[in-house]
Amino acid sequence: MTKEVIILIAEDDLGHARLIEKNLQRAGLSNTIELFENGQEILDFLLCRGNRQRSAEATYLLLLDIRMPQVDGIEVLRQIRQFPELRKLPVCMLTTTDDPREVGCCHELGCNNYIVKPVDYDKFADAIRQLGLFISLVEIPDLKPKS
Amino acid sequence: MRRVKERMTTHLQETDIDSVQELKALKAAIDEHSIVAITDPQGRITYVNDKFCSISKYPREELLGQNHRIINSGCHPKEFFKDMWATISKGQIWRNEIKNKAKDGSFYWVHTTIVPFKNSQGEIYQYVSIRTDITERKKAEEDLAEKNKELETIVYVASHDLRSPLVNIQGFSNELVQSCKELRLKLGGDDFQSLSPEIRTLLNQDIPEAIKFILSGVSKIDTLLSGLLRFSRLGRAALRSEKLNMNEMLDTIVKSTEFQIKQNGVTVKVDNLPPCLGDNVQINQVFSNLLSNALKYLHPNRKGNITVLGQVVENRSVYEVIDNGIGVSPAHQAKIFEIFHRLNPAQTEGEGLGLTIAQRVLERQNGKIWIESIPGEGSRFFVCLPHIS
Repeated sequence: MTKEVIILIAEDDLGHARLIEKNLQRAGLSNTIELFENGQEILDFLLCRGNRQRSAEATYLLLLDIRMPQVDGIEVLRQIRQFPELRKLPVCMLTTTDDPREVGCCHELGCNNYIVKPVDYDKFADAIRQLGLFISLVEIPDLKPKS
Repeated sequence: MRRVKERMTTHLQETDIDSVQELKALKAAIDEHSIVAITDPQGRITYVNDKFCSISKYPREELLGQNHRIINSGCHPKEFFKDMWATISKGQIWRNEIKNKAKDGSFYWVHTTIVPFKNSQGEIYQYVSIRTDITERKKAEEDLAEKNKELETIVYVASHDLRSPLVNIQGFSNELVQSCKELRLKLGGDDFQSLSPEIRTLLNQDIPEAIKFILSGVSKIDTLLSGLLRFSRLGRAALRSEKLNMNEMLDTIVKSTEFQIKQNGVTVKVDNLPPCLGDNVQINQVFSNLLSNALKYLHPNRKGNITVLGQVVENRSVYEVIDNGIGVSPAHQAKIFEIFHRLNPAQTEGEGLGLTIAQRVLERQNGKIWIESIPGEGSRFFVCLPHIS
């Protein structure tokens, strides 16, 4: 069985967020999309600290902008990787530059993908489909131990 | 006979006195200009001049008999002084810039030359060091480096932040393209015979034209910004200086541009090149840019010839990239290293950064780049870097 993956977008530029949303839909992804306007909002959601909280049953995929005021994307990534239940959450970093140091840093912190804006939306949708597929594979719960 | 001998002695004494006076004059002049110290073979100070005392702020009696460690600032690695001792104890002259610490804790920079002196048995009996105060120059250099760093940060942040709104302009222009497409479909195809001519002009000409100009403007800004970003990253990148095998490097570069070389029917000849000291990635970039420029600015009326030569001149490896292309007029020769300067913006691709980057890279690695060129005949680009054997 596969569960629908909910796409979380943490992005302070509403224009960028809207473009991502529209283009993902155009590329044929009909997943539910939830928007967060800054790093603090997404952290509160994922770490269940506010009114808006994640559900334990749902499967998520996070598109995380790096440059956000206050808590930036790299800090969000660093914090969520410290929680065992969030360690497997697929995270795709969004950024406006391909600064090699930034890319290296994000990979070290355990991001699954790194996408430079402006985005090639066809490739982007493919990458997200693959991440989605990956989740549905690892989410199969009852693998019996080999006898 | 006796008188002759007497006269000779007197003469000799007179020349001796002349020499001594000359030496005294020289010493007085040197003492005016330089910081002088003499040490014994173990490095104990046996003589300091007044300038030494005034810059180090130590009275003479506190310096004599001491080691130079008394003014060590702790700013140089151990290897720095190890290298110094290895050189001078072999009887060779050592020159370098040293940061020292005065008695009151303040720092000063000196350009230092240490000359070992040997006795008739060939043993070193003293080291004379002559130093020049370069504190102000060093401070100016540090300020300049700081300012450059600041400037690079501004360029970096600005180009980074400017890309963000650009993504919106581009993205939403594309959205408009999509909306127009849908609108056309909804209105029943391309000819819209049912619509008024004004609306047809709007849909078929005005809107597409506006979007076309917006998108091409965006793409130009985007190219400029990524160029600026690349340039500002150069100053932030860590350098790793190592011995570079330039024959291997040029071989790789030529292979990677083989397609272009064949396509243009160009002959590329690479001579045996001496090694040099530099950062592999960045120096590779310099020569890739030079080769790609030579290929870009070929003469339309003759077959292209590109030659790469190299030789060692006074401890520097000097390379030449020679082409028989269109050349650069004297008026343009200084400009070609300016940021975003392009010779033929309409005819060639690129962002006008290749030579700016080359110059910046070489400046940071104690190297240099310059051009000699005759318009219509070709160009010779010279690159010089520290030699290493």
